Amino acid sequence: MSTDDRNGAPGYILSRLEDWARESSIWPVTFGLACCAIEMMATSASRFDMARFGSEVFRASPRQSDLMIVAGRVSQKMAPVLREVYDQMPEPKWVIAMGDCASCSGVFNNYALIQGVDKIVPVDVYVPGCPPTPEALLDSLIKLKQRVAANSRNVRHGAQTSVGVGIAHNGTNDAAHTA
Amino acid sequence: MTVSDTLLEAFGADAIATPADLIPTIQVPLGSIEAAVARVQKEFGYTRFVDLTAVDLLSREERFELVYLFYSLDSNAWIRLKTRTDQQAPSITPSVPGANWYEREVFDLFGIEFVGHPGLTRIMLPDDWQGYPLRRTEPLGSEPVDFTVTRKVYGTG
Amino acid sequence: MAQAEKSAERGTGELLTVNMGPQHPSTHGVLRLELVLDGEVVVHCRPVIGYLHTGIEKTFEAKSYIQGVVLTDRMDYLNPLGNNLAYALSIEKLIGCEIPERATVLRVLLAELTRVASHLMFVGSMALDLGASSPFLYCWREREHILDFFETISGVRMMTSFIRPGGLVRDVQPEVLSAVSAFLETMPGHIDEYEELLTANPIFRERTEGVGILSADDALALGVTGPTLRGSGVALDLRKANPYCGYEGYDFGVPTGTHGDCYDRYLVRVAEMRESVAICRQALDRMPVGSVRTSDRKVMPPPREELAKSMEAVIHHFKLWTEGICPPAGEAYVGVESPRGELGFYVVSDGSGRPVRVHERAPSFANLQSLPKITEGGAVADVVACIASLDPIMGEVDR
Repeated sequence: MSTDDRNGAPGYILSRLEDWARESSIWPVTFGLACCAIEMMATSASRFDMARFGSEVFRASPRQSDLMIVAGRVSQKMAPVLREVYDQMPEPKWVIAMGDCASCSGVFNNYALIQGVDKIVPVDVYVPGCPPTPEALLDSLIKLKQRVAANSRNVRHGAQTSVGVGIAHNGTNDAAHTA
Repeated sequence: MTVSDTLLEAFGADAIATPADLIPTIQVPLGSIEAAVARVQKEFGYTRFVDLTAVDLLSREERFELVYLFYSLDSNAWIRLKTRTDQQAPSITPSVPGANWYEREVFDLFGIEFVGHPGLTRIMLPDDWQGYPLRRTEPLGSEPVDFTVTRKVYGTG
Repeated sequence: MAQAEKSAERGTGELLTVNMGPQHPSTHGVLRLELVLDGEVVVHCRPVIGYLHTGIEKTFEAKSYIQGVVLTDRMDYLNPLGNNLAYALSIEKLIGCEIPERATVLRVLLAELTRVASHLMFVGSMALDLGASSPFLYCWREREHILDFFETISGVRMMTSFIRPGGLVRDVQPEVLSAVSAFLETMPGHIDEYEELLTANPIFRERTEGVGILSADDALALGVTGPTLRGSGVALDLRKANPYCGYEGYDFGVPTGTHGDCYDRYLVRVAEMRESVAICRQALDRMPVGSVRTSDRKVMPPPREELAKSMEAVIHHFKLWTEGICPPAGEAYVGVESPRGELGFYVVSDGSGRPVRVHERAPSFANLQSLPKITEGGAVADVVACIASLDPIMGEVDR
C-alpha cells in the first residue's frame, strides 16, 4: 500500500475525524520497567491525571494499545521482549522513550543495557529526566498528540532520530530498516 | 565488639580479623568452608544467612575471595567467613536454602562454579551470554557517546 | 493443598506451563514466572529474574565514591534515601568520620519519610493488583505530598542523592520542617482511611487471609527479612537490634504478624507506617541546630564562600572533585532496615579513589526466593496476591 498522502482514506472530513479520534484516545500498554514506571504511575494518579489527555487506561495487552511508553532501563535480556511486545501492537502505533535510560541509557553506560531503546524500536518522542517529572511526561504526550492529530495514518516514526542513531520506520508493518 | 573467646578457640587467632565495621571476619581454606559454615550456624548460633558475594582480588593464585555473611538472632551480631578460590567452590545450598540464588549470581557474574548446587545456571544475564562481566579483567562495556567535542577522537558516532 | 488432592482424584494429571511476565501488569516490575499448573493449582513456580540487570555493581568500580551515590538511588527506587543512607554509613565506617547531630536526626527523618512513601506505594499497588482502584489514588495523594517535600529539600522528587558520605548535601530550612510537621499531623487520619477501605473489607480479607503462608522457619532458612519476616512472627528489626543513626533513642514499636499470610504482611506494613510517623515526629521535636556536614575536608567539600578566601579550601575542593574520597584500605558492611528488609552495602577499598568492589545486599533478592514456597500448592489466582505481599523491587533484585 502506498505511503504517500491519504491513499485509502475516505475523504477529507472522515480522515480529520480519524485523526481526531486517534489523537484523543491514545491508550498506552503497561511497559513500566524501573524507576520511570513509578513516575508514570504518578502521572496516571489523580494529581497529574493522564486520563484527561485521553490515556484513560493502560492496557495490559499490546494488541489493544496504541502507545508504548518505555519507562525505564532496557537490559540485554529484556530487549527481545520489548521488540516482541512492540511487534504485537497493531498499526498505527507510537513509542515514547521515557527517561534518560530509555533515550540513551542514562547513567548506565555499560555492558548490561541497550544504549538507548531507539536501537531496537523507532521512537517518536524522547523525554529527558531521571526520572522525568510527571509534567515532562505529560508534555511529551501532548507533543505526540500534536503529531498524531496532524496525520495519524502516515506518521513517520524515527524522524527525530535521523540526526544520529536510530531506525526510520516507513509507516507499514514490515520489518523496520535503517535510515 | 570483642571477638568471643569461643570463636578464637575454634578458628585460631590468626584466622580472625576485625575490619572497620567490627564484624568478626574468619578466613578459612576452601576445603573447610562447608564445615566452617555448619559450625558457625549450629555451634555458634549465627543461624540467619545474610549474604554471599565474591571479590576479584586480581592475584595470580586464588584470585577470587568468597565472602559469606551470617547473623545471630540471639546476640544480634553478624559474622563474616572468607575463603579464596580460583574456579570452584563447594556449594552450601543443600544446607542453606537461602544461598541458592546468591551462588547462581556469583557463578553468572564471576564464573565460579559451585559444586553440588541443584541448578547452577545464569540468573542475571541472558542464558547465552559469553563471559563473566564482574571480573576486574573484563571491561565495563561502555560506548563512546557522540558529543560534538569528541568527534575528532571517536568519529561522528 | 485440598485442591491439589482434588485434582489428583479427578485424575487430570495434565500439567500446563504458563508464562507470566516479564511484561505483566501485576508482577511489580520485570519479573517472569514460569508456572506449572494442574488445573488451577500451582504445582511449580520458577521465578526468572535478570530482566533489569543494569551492571550497577560493575559501574561502581568505575566511579568515585561520591559519584556512586547517584547509582544507589536507582537500585531500590522506592527507597532512594534509604539506599543513600546505607551506602553513606558503610563508607563512613571505613573512613571513621564523625557526623554532626543535626545530620543524623535529619537522616532519620528522611529515611522514615521514605519508608512511609514506600509503604504507601505498597498499599496502593497491592490493592490495585487485587482489584481495588480507589486506595491506589488515595495513597498516591499522600505520596505526592512526601515527594513535594523531597523536591523542596533537594530539587528532585525521587532520586535525590541527598544523603552522602559525610552528611547531607545541604541543610533543610525550618519552613520545610514545619510543613512536614503539619503533614504528619494529618497522616494517622489518612492511614485510618486506607484501613477503612481495606483492612475490614471482606473481599480483601478473603483474597489475602490464609494465602501465601510462609512459616518462620522457612523464612529464616531462605534469608527473608523485613516486613515479610515480621509477618511470619519473627520480631527482627535492625533499627532495634543493631541501631544506627541514633535509633536507640527513638520510641517505636515493631509490629509482627502471627500467621505469615499475605494479610499479616499487609497489616505489618500499615502498622509500620504509623510507627514511622511517630519516629518522624520525635525527630522533628529533637531537631538540633548545627551543621549537616562533617568537618573533615577530605570527605565533604568546604562551603562555597570559603573558596574565595582560602587556598586550602580550593585544594580540598579540587581533590574531592577529581580524585574523590580515598577511604583507607579495608572493607565495611552496615546493615540497615529498608522498607523491604535488611539492606547493606559491602564496600571494599584499596585506598584509592575508586572502590575495588561494592556489593549491595538487596532484601528483595532474598525475599523473592521464597516465592515458590508461598505460591506452590495454591491457586493461580493467588499468585498475584503473593507477589504483591512480598513487595519486591526488581531494581534491587537484578541490580
